Amino acid sequence: MSALPSAEAATIAWLLLPFLAAFLAALLPSLGRPLTLLCCLATAGVALAAHQGLLPPVLELLGPQGVELRPDAYAAPFLLLNALICAGVLLDGWGRSLPGPFPLLLMVLHGGLDSAFVAADLVSLYVTLEVVGISAFLLILTPRNGRTLWVALRYLLISNTVMLFFLVGAAVEYQQQGSFRFTAMASVRGGGALALLLVGLLTKSGLFISGLWLPRTHAEAPAEVSALLSGVVVTAGLCPLLRLAMEVPAIAAVLPPIGLASGALGILFALFDADAKRLLAWSTLSQLGLVALSPAAAGGYALAHGLGKGALFLSARRFPSRVLEGWRERPLPADLWWTVWIGSLSIVGLPPLLGFFAKARLEESLQGWTGLVVPALMVGTTAVYARLWGAPRASGGAGEGPLPPAGTLLLLAALLLPGLQLAAGLEVPWAAFGKTALVVLAGLGLHRLLEGLRRRQVLRLPDLEGFGDLLGSIGVVGAGLMVVLQR
Amino acid sequence: MQAFRLLELLLLATVLAGFVGLLLRRNLFLKALAMDVAGTGVVALFVLLGARSGLRSPILPSANGAPMAAAASTGTAWADPIPQAVILTAIVIGLSIQALVLVVISRLAQSDPLLDLASFDEGERP
Repeated sequence: MSALPSAEAATIAWLLLPFLAAFLAALLPSLGRPLTLLCCLATAGVALAAHQGLLPPVLELLGPQGVELRPDAYAAPFLLLNALICAGVLLDGWGRSLPGPFPLLLMVLHGGLDSAFVAADLVSLYVTLEVVGISAFLLILTPRNGRTLWVALRYLLISNTVMLFFLVGAAVEYQQQGSFRFTAMASVRGGGALALLLVGLLTKSGLFISGLWLPRTHAEAPAEVSALLSGVVVTAGLCPLLRLAMEVPAIAAVLPPIGLASGALGILFALFDADAKRLLAWSTLSQLGLVALSPAAAGGYALAHGLGKGALFLSARRFPSRVLEGWRERPLPADLWWTVWIGSLSIVGLPPLLGFFAKARLEESLQGWTGLVVPALMVGTTAVYARLWGAPRASGGAGEGPLPPAGTLLLLAALLLPGLQLAAGLEVPWAAFGKTALVVLAGLGLHRLLEGLRRRQVLRLPDLEGFGDLLGSIGVVGAGLMVVLQR
Repeated sequence: MQAFRLLELLLLATVLAGFVGLLLRRNLFLKALAMDVAGTGVVALFVLLGARSGLRSPILPSANGAPMAAAASTGTAWADPIPQAVILTAIVIGLSIQALVLVVISRLAQSDPLLDLASFDEGERP
């Protein structure tokens, strides 16, 4: 126990590092990229230490009313995801000149995310989420064209509005309990405070209809920013949300239905969208719903999904066209072809990729009827990604190497690595293999069935992504939660 | 306590009015203003929360002044410093977000000086 003070100091130094490095990078821009890489390495190291339980599980700064941090094993996968995605995005753009102060913003975002994953009181969480929101807004703005201006403004307006609700919820909670700690929230009376806090976090994490802002924002942002947003930024809301669910039974009770509804909604829209990047973004909305199902399996699932989606979004920059119609006629360069297959197969949950293990963990941790709905959602997910399969591989592409860019390669390697566990023959889960095979077959069948429907344009889904629709759906979710939680 | 409840309700109504303004106004600048109204309501709510137990600032007097413990024992109604400290951070964040929103709106005004929502939101529909 004597090592604890130094472990505390190391944790605080690690949290401060990205912000100090960003300040230094503002003065010396040439240091930006190495410093970002350093921050990612530090976070990966802390993630491993947290997983091994080497860090103090609870860190209290400034006394009992001050900041509370929990760098525990629950936060470890989220931290690892943050390190890998940020490093992947940075390495992907290493050879190119990135627009604006990209590494600086990336470091601030990285630091904000780190703090959001370990924060365990409402006020620290509010501040870190605002840091994440503002830096994500500035990153969306980096290409500086007319389209991203509006998308970024929309993101900031929505995010600030829900954070105001979050603050009101925090105020009501403090009035009752006299503390902003997560642990003090278990005995909050009445649904108002919880509903307001939940609206803030649900919207931030892009769940259900309060997450309808997500597809257009993620699809219109530049490819590397989309990878950040879909891979890790959305989990800044989801990780604390599930941490709260572990403390407050009322929240744990409402999350599974919301997660399943979000999963179904995302799949429905992804099946009928005509644009490849929007398909990926809708699929994010649906996969986040699955993450929200169980706090025990959330970290692993978010890690698997984030890595796969990050690789897919990074490669979206080089898609021959974003239009999905005629996708099968346009050949993809060999490295892009491999990236699309590995990334999407991992999200579908095929062994020996990381997604398979994450899905198995998720299904183990679910009880009752929710466990029965998850395979159905995975069938839908397979049908969604089947739309990206089947493009031929370009033979002998000129100027393209046999390997994907370093950043994508890092993410793909992280997806493939757990497969070694299978190759080592530790234990082969044959039952899960069979289940996955059935799910994929059913998914391919569904894809075939829908192909005809899409061609005849039988079903036209409503456009729910106007600004008024977004605010309206936030209001609906808030009012609904207030009614449900009042009981 | 009745006055506290009344003021609290009025402030929550302010936040709600801001949200409704954000929802119904067609002009982007007025939307930003409505968001600020909601933000002001939230700030005032925290100030009210801090004043629940009293109005005197709980500041330690200087070394030669009266010690605070003695003053506290006389039953001075101290304000709660925690919500005040919290909302100071939120005010700064709110100000910077407002500034960023206004910068983007002024850039958007180059394409539509009327700043009508429809010219940005509808124009993007595929």
